[in-house]
Amino acid sequence: MGISNYQMSSVISLLPEVGLLVLAGVVLTMDVLLKDDRKHLIAVTTAVGSLLIILAALMYSQPSGDLIWGGMVRDDMLAFVFRLAFIFAGGITAMFSIGSKELAHRGDYYAIMLGAVIGMCFMASAADLIMLYLAIETTGIAGYLLAGYVRTDDRSAEAGLKYFLFGAATSAVMLYGFSLLYGLTGETNLGAIAPILASGTVSVSAICAIVVLILVGVGFKIAIVPFHFWAPDVYEGAPSPVTGFISTASKTAGFAVLLRVFIYGLAASEYWLPAMAGLAAVTMTFGNLVALAQTNIKRLLAYSSVAHAGYVLVAFVAYSELGVASAIFYLIAYVVTNLAAFGVVIVFAHTAGTDDIQQYAGMSRRSPYLALAMLVAFLSLAGMPPLAGFFAKFYVFAAAVKADMIWLAFVGVLNAIVGLYYYLVVLKVVYVSPAPDGVGSIDIPATCKIALVVLSLGIILIGTASSPWFNWAMKAAQDLF
Amino acid sequence: MVIMEMSEMLTWLVPAPPLISFFVIILFTSRHRSMSHLVALFAMGLSLLFSWVIVFNALSTDHFGEHPIASDVGWLPTGDTVLRMGVAVDPLTIVMLTFVPLACFLIILYSVGYSNFGKGRDQRDISGSPPHHGVEPMYSRFFAFLSLFAGAMLVLTVADNLLLLFFGWEIMGLCSYLLIGFWYGRTYDDKFQITPSGAAVKAFMTTRLADVIMLIGIAYLYFEAGTLNFREIFFNEEIMKHLLESPSLIGGMAAAHFIGLLIFAGTVGKSAQFPLHVWLPDAMEGPTPVSAMIHAAAMVSAGVYMVIRMFPLLNSGGHGSPALTVMAFVGAFTALFAATIAVAQNDVKRVLAYSTISQLGYMIAALGIGAYVAAAFHLMTHAFFKALLFMGSGSIIHGVEHGMHQTNDKLDPQDMLNMGGLAKRMPTTYWTFVIGGFSLAGFPFVTAGFWSKDEILADAFAHGHWWVFVVLLISAFLTAFYTMRQISLTFLGDARTESAAKAHESAWTMTLPLVVLSFFAVFAGYVGVHMDFPVLGAMLGSNPFEHFVIGSLPHHISGFEFEWTPVIFSVVAGISGLFLGWLVYGRRPLVIGQQDPLVKVLGPLYGVFANKYYFDELYNVVLVRPVKWISEVVAFKWIDRVLIDGALHSVANLTMKIGSVAVWFEKWGIDYAPDKFGDGVRFSGQSFRVIQSGRVQDYLNITLSAVVVIGAILFVILR
Repeated sequence: MGISNYQMSSVISLLPEVGLLVLAGVVLTMDVLLKDDRKHLIAVTTAVGSLLIILAALMYSQPSGDLIWGGMVRDDMLAFVFRLAFIFAGGITAMFSIGSKELAHRGDYYAIMLGAVIGMCFMASAADLIMLYLAIETTGIAGYLLAGYVRTDDRSAEAGLKYFLFGAATSAVMLYGFSLLYGLTGETNLGAIAPILASGTVSVSAICAIVVLILVGVGFKIAIVPFHFWAPDVYEGAPSPVTGFISTASKTAGFAVLLRVFIYGLAASEYWLPAMAGLAAVTMTFGNLVALAQTNIKRLLAYSSVAHAGYVLVAFVAYSELGVASAIFYLIAYVVTNLAAFGVVIVFAHTAGTDDIQQYAGMSRRSPYLALAMLVAFLSLAGMPPLAGFFAKFYVFAAAVKADMIWLAFVGVLNAIVGLYYYLVVLKVVYVSPAPDGVGSIDIPATCKIALVVLSLGIILIGTASSPWFNWAMKAAQDLF
Repeated sequence: MVIMEMSEMLTWLVPAPPLISFFVIILFTSRHRSMSHLVALFAMGLSLLFSWVIVFNALSTDHFGEHPIASDVGWLPTGDTVLRMGVAVDPLTIVMLTFVPLACFLIILYSVGYSNFGKGRDQRDISGSPPHHGVEPMYSRFFAFLSLFAGAMLVLTVADNLLLLFFGWEIMGLCSYLLIGFWYGRTYDDKFQITPSGAAVKAFMTTRLADVIMLIGIAYLYFEAGTLNFREIFFNEEIMKHLLESPSLIGGMAAAHFIGLLIFAGTVGKSAQFPLHVWLPDAMEGPTPVSAMIHAAAMVSAGVYMVIRMFPLLNSGGHGSPALTVMAFVGAFTALFAATIAVAQNDVKRVLAYSTISQLGYMIAALGIGAYVAAAFHLMTHAFFKALLFMGSGSIIHGVEHGMHQTNDKLDPQDMLNMGGLAKRMPTTYWTFVIGGFSLAGFPFVTAGFWSKDEILADAFAHGHWWVFVVLLISAFLTAFYTMRQISLTFLGDARTESAAKAHESAWTMTLPLVVLSFFAVFAGYVGVHMDFPVLGAMLGSNPFEHFVIGSLPHHISGFEFEWTPVIFSVVAGISGLFLGWLVYGRRPLVIGQQDPLVKVLGPLYGVFANKYYFDELYNVVLVRPVKWISEVVAFKWIDRVLIDGALHSVANLTMKIGSVAVWFEKWGIDYAPDKFGDGVRFSGQSFRVIQSGRVQDYLNITLSAVVVIGAILFVILR
């Protein structure tokens, strides 16, 4: 795996990113040219474009496993799988954005989101500290803009500002960690750093400091305890499509960095594992317990997504091929499932104009199909067979048990039970509580309908036929070991 | 080769259409009646087509048994190993694919007429009760459930491993619950008569008990063999040897036989063998197409199919394995036991229900004495004639209900004493019912039932299983007798009620399936005539059925020489039973108010038969009430209160409240305790909210402090 120079193949392996850039340009042009009543086409274009990029990537950009572009980017299966997931999430989010009155017809919004997707793609493939930091910041800045996009809404503006302040602070801390790493090893390439750390020339306490500092930045992205404080406020305040996007794609991108940096770059220093195991247990427990008390569906999903980050950490600390594969599988399942959950929230708010869980009463009578989509998504989040979430948890706990982390698997299973409770409470409101008088049926925009069908089928398919997906994740995991 | 590949793909597709049709009906067409049944019929027709293409391909392949269709995919990767799921078609599966989809298709077609399609909604009808004279209120739901049922049965049929088979098995269990209790709102004046919802619970609980034992068997098998794939186990000498040689939990019995017995327990439940037969007659509370589905095409066949499938395991180590002996005993006993009960039943469907139990006993007994082919043969012929009889009885009931609608009488439309003389009113139903009945009775040389039953008897005779032979022979005689009794009481003589006199023939959607099935009830038997049978044997291709089906086994089992003695016995049993039935009931049909002549002849025994040997009452006293008592008194009062709450409440407090168990339990056990627990968890949740103040400065303070703490901890640990 040498460093190949600027060849045609290097360009082709960046096809998705190039495509996204072109798409962003198209979207901006459409924004200028289209009349206001045709602007919903922008969202459709974004979604169709994303789909085409995914198809093109599958056909032409199969990863070679090489370091390309002067060692900045590693063109491997791990990056490939994550990039496809981000583009998928971007496309779906565009479709859901139609359901948000403030976002639906704003071309620049879609362009910024595509910019965020490009940043995430590079987060997944970056093999060099400099590239990595650029990618994280690209994603981050686009994210801050998206969260605060609805300037007329105080909550959105506040969310954007909080997200930015918190992000900037943690980013600075992480950058300090990067600089220490460079200072002590003289290298910025993760592949070159690993052997130096393994040789033992860097003192343990220095590595310890580096680990903690980098963890701050990554922990912010993936929203694990105690770096999660921004999440509930931002999730609640940001426009729902953006929340869905941040809670799935952005979190997954953070995990891509976590896997890449900690397992590929800091491989020789496994002693951070116990601390990570502790964080995993605390994150799961804290996220689930607090979620119990929520009355706003977006806050509930925020804390539930904190808990889910904890489950993925369990797989991460199993620290094996199986563990990484199950983490990747979990993230794929989680992206699809949580997007579906937020899709339901968006569609419901589109008609009902509220995120209050009590207002969901009787939704099954107001729109049986929407309620069904919610049932599928929430049962999958709760980890019910035969849906994606069940198999994701199954693999994660299996990896933990195989790695002799039985106590952690046990904590995870207990947490899954707590989780089940609050997901079912929401479903109870939807299916059992009678609808308040005078409410009508729920109108589902066509693009949202398509997206919900795709996601629901995806949840069922990833669950019932988990094998091909898991094999994919397994192949990706092998790139790290 | 191309043909094989096509068959392989089709095998995957066989169960798909009905399963998809279930979701399509539930999700999209639930408000359109004709769309719903069209979707169900189209899907089932597609399955039928796929199945028969596979059957045709298999039959035209030489030595199909040596090159069965098999295809699987990795389903659940578990690190080092992968749990594989797949489909396989061997000759035994071909037998199932011949009749299961056909019967299911006809049942769904029949349901169109049975649910009064084409008539308007009767204003008196409410969901959950049988319709008075209008269309079924939950029409679409019925077809959705039937589709799911058929799909599950087909999954079970093509499964290549026990786990997938078990999935289909359990979905069928669910469907039987949903369908038996389809008219969940129905109640009776007689509070001792079981209601549909009660029958559904009973069927579900009884089969569940058996399924748990079966699941233990499956787990045990996986533990010992490392796989659940049928072919991988049966055709692997090493695994079979290991299973046969490892001792089981019960001393002296090989693991193979013990596992076989555990799995056989599943069949005892599903195929209603003694002592778990009690649910099946009550399952008659469901709509009649459901009875046909459960008792002919799908559920009970599934139980027998599964043990036939497991035969190599049960038979390992040669004849006389303890598992087979148990099966022979249970099967033969059930055959006789149920036949005696059937003799004294007056409900037209209940006669058939006990007859089903009895015939399933035949199959189990056949398998128990090693008559593998005969068991499969009887499974097939029985499915045809029993589906025919059930649907015929549904047609009869429909006819009488039609009469009731005209006369406004209130009577039991299923009681045969209320019938009589229907032959003139419902000719198609009459003739097809006679064909089905004679096939069940084993009318010699013409009907399918004769050939398959004769094969079982001949095998028992040839291999010297005397007591099985005798017991089954007596059952055969009784079968013929109660069949003739049923035909006479229902169709012959004059109508005993006004309603019966006004009955009329059912719609074509109901009679067409009867006609199709009567064809098979006659001709399906000719594929399995013993090769040495004079004239017929050679003419019909020297028993093609046996040559074909035997290919499913890893080791060929020995056939038997043709002998006249068992044939004569079985001819005599069938004919004499029918004749005696005719003498008693047919020659001078009962008139209004006349008592059943059997009551006098049998004396007190009649009461025993009519009350099914009081098994329901026995189980009620021995099982149901103790279980209720245990759950109420031991589980609620002692375990819940003393052990769990005991730490919180004093014993004195407890004794004070013993007098008001119900109230106490209601308030504390159910309502209060879980709420209290929930409050506790929610309280701790709320206390976390204090730190979620909403001020970003606080967040950063906490986060960065945490970083310092984590860093310090790591630093200390590493030192």
